[in-house]
Amino acid sequence: MKLTVRRGGGIAGIVARTELDANVLPPPDAAVFTAEINRARMRELPDPPATSGRPDAQLYEISLEETGLLFSRHYTDDSLPEDVRTLLAWVDGRPERIESIEQ
Amino acid sequence: MLANLQNHCCGIAPPDLLARLAIEGDIHQREAAVRALATSAAIRSQRAVLGHLDRQLNLNIGKMIGFSVTPDRRLTVYDNQKKGRPFLPGVRMRGWGEPPAEDQAVNQAYDGSSATYEFYRDVLQRNSLDGSGMELVSSVHYGVAFDNAFWDGAQMVYGDGSGRIFQIGGLTRAVDVIAHELTHGVTEQTAGLVYSKQSGALNESFSDVFGSLVKQYSLKQTAAEADWLIGAGILVPQLGAALRSMSKPGTAYTGDRQPGHMDDYVDLPDNNDPRNDNGGVHINSGIPNHAFYLAATALGGSAWEKAGKIWYTTLTKHLHPNTQFSEAALATVAVAGELFSSTAQTAVRNAWLEVGVLS
Ligand SMILES: [Zn+2]
Repeated sequence: MKLTVRRGGGIAGIVARTELDANVLPPPDAAVFTAEINRARMRELPDPPATSGRPDAQLYEISLEETGLLFSRHYTDDSLPEDVRTLLAWVDGRPERIESIEQ
Repeated sequence: MLANLQNHCCGIAPPDLLARLAIEGDIHQREAAVRALATSAAIRSQRAVLGHLDRQLNLNIGKMIGFSVTPDRRLTVYDNQKKGRPFLPGVRMRGWGEPPAEDQAVNQAYDGSSATYEFYRDVLQRNSLDGSGMELVSSVHYGVAFDNAFWDGAQMVYGDGSGRIFQIGGLTRAVDVIAHELTHGVTEQTAGLVYSKQSGALNESFSDVFGSLVKQYSLKQTAAEADWLIGAGILVPQLGAALRSMSKPGTAYTGDRQPGHMDDYVDLPDNNDPRNDNGGVHINSGIPNHAFYLAATALGGSAWEKAGKIWYTTLTKHLHPNTQFSEAALATVAVAGELFSSTAQTAVRNAWLEVGVLS
């Protein structure tokens, strides 16, 4: 199970990607990761209504893959649910994450 | 409680409940809540709270309650303390005319807002973003390792940067970035350019144009002397030197996709995918950016004297939310003739011809 976070828009318009694969986590941490993903309920809840139009707003795409794509959700900094923000902070704190800039 | 609110009781209702009603209530609840907020002694002492509500709700609270929400106050800087959106603006750190704070980010936001305010007042005779002295509110230290600065429709918001895209502390360091963000407020109050595809790229470009001009004005540089970079020295060095180059679009950082000519226009959908950037607003802004650079250098001298005034009059008087590149171009050509001369008009027309917007 792999989570991919893309953050773009913003004043730069540069897209930063963060990936975290549950397979590379120690089993107890993988369980926490799964719990955080479930708590964010992204699979159940659809994209919030588009709130584009805010200049330089941060745009988010969060995707979860298992054997195939499970879901892909889109948010802005305005519409990012608090539980998803918590999940992102958790992912950003994992040393196993892979970060890159998309060109 | 709701019924009571309509009977102007409210003295004991907590401010956060009132604020919620002011946003979510029906029209009567909103009015009652706003009046209660305004007359509460505790809140009255923090008029910035009212100012924020005023801007968020697009109400004129000052008019409703008979005093000025922002009396003779140009700008205030707050510390969000990394707490994010629910805590905007944050803790008040420095108001207009007050001595520097301990915090460098606070002082940088203060100085950048002040320079932008003075540029609009002294060069363009505009009294703040709305033309009526609106207070410039900034919050620094927004969120955790937040890699962005933005205009939220009510105020300026600056993250600390993560060291991944922006240098830590980089987002408040560049006056052109601060002026870029504040100019989004001017555009919102005037042309209202929709932040999508060509109108969005124009919106971006006007922010870069006046961002660069505020920097040039504060450095007293001529068009020939200016570096025409936006956000120089704030990206992590491995990414590049700046966010954008108006003189050489597409060369500011590794992966800079900005075109400088319509032949290279990048047609992207506006679909909330971060990779598509609201339909390429930060990408295709390279084209009008380059046109401005060409016009300003052809007109010579200080870019704010002629080119800046032409672009400003165009933005504030001749555009509408769905203006596309060619319409904006024609408007600048017409304004150049009205404000200056046929020579100026030719210089502006040639600039748009060179980037392929006019033919
Ligand atoms: Zn912008």
